[in-house]
Formats: sequence, structure tokens, C-alpha cells
Amino acid sequence: MEIIEEKQSGINIFRLNGRLDSNTSQGFEQKIFQAISDGSKNLVVDFKDLDYISSAGLRVILKATKAIKREDGRIMLCSMQDYVKEVFEIAGFDSFLPIVSTMDDALQSF
Amino acid sequence: MAKKEYSFELKSSLAELDNLCQNLEDCGQKIGLSKKQIFEINLALDELFTNIISYGFKDEKEHIIKVTITPQNEELCLCIEDDGIPFNPTDFAIPDVACSVENCKIGGLGIHIIRKLMDDICYERCNDKNVLTLKKSLADNEP
Repeated sequence: MEIIEEKQSGINIFRLNGRLDSNTSQGFEQKIFQAISDGSKNLVVDFKDLDYISSAGLRVILKATKAIKREDGRIMLCSMQDYVKEVFEIAGFDSFLPIVSTMDDALQSF
Repeated sequence: MAKKEYSFELKSSLAELDNLCQNLEDCGQKIGLSKKQIFEINLALDELFTNIISYGFKDEKEHIIKVTITPQNEELCLCIEDDGIPFNPTDFAIPDVACSVENCKIGGLGIHIIRKLMDDICYERCNDKNVLTLKKSLADNEP
């Protein structure tokens, strides 16, 4: 899996490409927690090019959401493919995680 | 129609998830499964495989996990076999998934996902092996 990090007007964006499973989730966890410990308060995770997610990937998203809330920051999840979104729905995570359709929606929410 | 069976073996390492995906893509194409069905089967087997690798083996030796896929009429039968410690994933309680960020617990989520995606789960311990058989109806085949 490839993770592209960029910063736009104080917002840290993580673009995920490939598959987020128990083999790749650790790399993503390290990157996102590095950003949080470096003081980032506003995060966006772009799922546009993510083809697959398992519970290991959901775990990292949940953990990061809890961590950023403790810092009074926010995380937005955007541009999910249908199958990936369904995994969030099956887990019931769509009811409390901020999932929006597009990157623009995510950026405008801050 | 002759009953065809597809099987492959995975080594006990999480890096083998790529191999699982590749094998399922190949097998899914041969059987004529939709992309959605391949995704769901991949996810269910990934959750099981990850559980087996994370908790199943108490030594550092390499183990083999065998996957067998058998299409039967309108149903797909998936069998996963490992020689790890006895572990019955169907014993797990169903987690409360409708919760808040603060209260959400991640334990048992994998098995919850498997239950949602599959129509039947059956566990057996035979010849010192865990044998888990999953069944998935193919009736709702969408492109």
C-alpha cells in the first residue's frame, strides 16, 4: 500500500492507495500517529484509491479518531469506494465516524 | 455438473494476504463470481487468516493454512484448515457495533464481519486441525 502525505492550509491529508489490511495497517498507523504527535489537529484521509479494507484498517481509523479527539482536533474520511464504505457500515462505524463524499466536502468542513 | 474444487495453501505470515487476494481473484474469475462477491470472500478469509496468524501458533515454525473453495449449485463452500491451537471463532460473542467513538471496542469485529458476509459458519476440530467451513449464497449475484 502507498500512503501519500500532504499539507493544505494547515490540514494534513493522507491519500491511501491499495489495500489496508493487517499486513499494511501498521505502516499507516505509524504515519498518522506521527502527524498527531507532531501537533496536527486537522486530518483528512482520502480513500479514493483504496480498494480494500479489513478490520485491522478500521482499528487504525478508530484509534486515530480517538487520539485526535483527545487533542481537540478533527478527522474527516472522504471519497470511499462502495465496497470499502460497506465495510464501515457492516462494522457500524459509519454511524459515528465523519464520512463525506468528496475531498472538497472534507476540506470545507474545517 | 461435475463438482469442481479449487484449493491453495498459504504460509503462516501476514505477508501472505497478497497471495490470498491473488488466489481468490484467479479462482473467482474461473467460477464467474462478481467483484463484490470476490471482495466479500476475500474479507471474510482475511479476517480468519489474520486471527489464525495472530493467535493460532505458539511456536516460531512455519505452518501451512489450506483454503478450499467448492462451488455447489447456488452456494459457495469455503473451507479453511490450520494446525494451530484449538480455536472456535463461532464461540465469540457478537459485539455491540452501534456505539460512539469513545465506547467502541474493536475486539470481535473480525468475526462480526465474517458473520455478516457469510450465510453459515461451521467449526470442527479434526486430526489436531481447526477446520472452519463457511457458506455463501451466490443467489444475489450482481455485477
